[in-house]
Amino acid sequence: MSVAEADHNSQSVMDLVGPNIIHHVSNSDISHPIIHFPTLFGINFSVTKHVFMLWLVALIVGISIIIPVRRFILSGRSIPRGWVNAIETIVVFFRDTIVKPNVGQKWVMTWTPLILTFFFFILFANGIGMVPIFDVLGAFNRFILGIPSTDSHNIINGLLHGGVTATGNFNVTAGLATVTFFAIIIGGTLAHGFIQHWKNLVPHGLAWPVYIILIPIEIMGLLVKPFALTMRLAANMTGGHIAILALLSLMAIFGEMFQSTIAGIGVAFISIPMAVAISGLEIIVVLVQAYVFTLLTSVFIGMAINVHH
Amino acid sequence: MEATTFLPLGMGLIVIGAGLGIGRFAAAAAEGIARQPEAADKITGAVNLPLFLLEGVAILAEVFTFLMLIL
Repeated sequence: MSVAEADHNSQSVMDLVGPNIIHHVSNSDISHPIIHFPTLFGINFSVTKHVFMLWLVALIVGISIIIPVRRFILSGRSIPRGWVNAIETIVVFFRDTIVKPNVGQKWVMTWTPLILTFFFFILFANGIGMVPIFDVLGAFNRFILGIPSTDSHNIINGLLHGGVTATGNFNVTAGLATVTFFAIIIGGTLAHGFIQHWKNLVPHGLAWPVYIILIPIEIMGLLVKPFALTMRLAANMTGGHIAILALLSLMAIFGEMFQSTIAGIGVAFISIPMAVAISGLEIIVVLVQAYVFTLLTSVFIGMAINVHH
Repeated sequence: MEATTFLPLGMGLIVIGAGLGIGRFAAAAAEGIARQPEAADKITGAVNLPLFLLEGVAILAEVFTFLMLIL
């Protein structure tokens, strides 16, 4: 927002819309971090917006999921009530309809905790992207406290840079998919032993020329699985936000094109309902992508455990 | 004419391909459920996974096209 306003006098609206949209979905700049940390081993550990959002999501998951479940387990009651009851519904659904059919009866209790951790973390990280907390804070800061948006020492202005959906960042989803990658290998190793797991990648008993083609394909498939998970989650979370912002930017673009405020207001009657509709779609996408990531993780682990050759 | 001129066209082609694929999935699933309503759960479960894999391929293509467009 501040980038757009700083350059406002020198550039037209058309040039500002694209950078403004990218600024709203990408991570904040490493040169202006929220918390300064020293550089260790050539890596700058300063906390940017997405890292801050990851911490916030971890805190929310801890408060709303882990603590109630721990308290319920310690209380020794057998029937949960209220919030824990809602959590139990999700847990049982995941155990019985996602993990058990894929992984098999023997390994359900080994892999359900990982799958559920993935689900709740991704769900909250996706969902927090749909909550405009920081925009409300910025409006409060600007109009009630009266601090200009160019004041870079103000802590709320520092928080306004960058997007809030941490799972819209390819690095975050790559980290999550790396966990899946190792979970697949560990799943196969636990079930069949280390050597047998790697032998299971290709079917045995074929003529030897087939293996020359098959082994590179299977090794590529091993890497493509987590790569596809990375891209799917990040692109889905970024794409919806870009669509909403592009529709809202149409008001500014039309106002500039026809040099009249009326044109901008007229387009608002179309673009705001469209943006609301896409926001509704985004809520479905938030749920579906969290579900898809966990479903595919359990399918891939199951493929390593139940080899069909 | 630059090479990037046709990239937005590629994004449209991806949408056509993915739309046709997902449409066939939905049609086949609806037909299967209509013929055998008691198997609705199984059909939904069987359709889900390839549907998401298809969506993954389409998203990958879109991301690569978009990256080629902006880089």
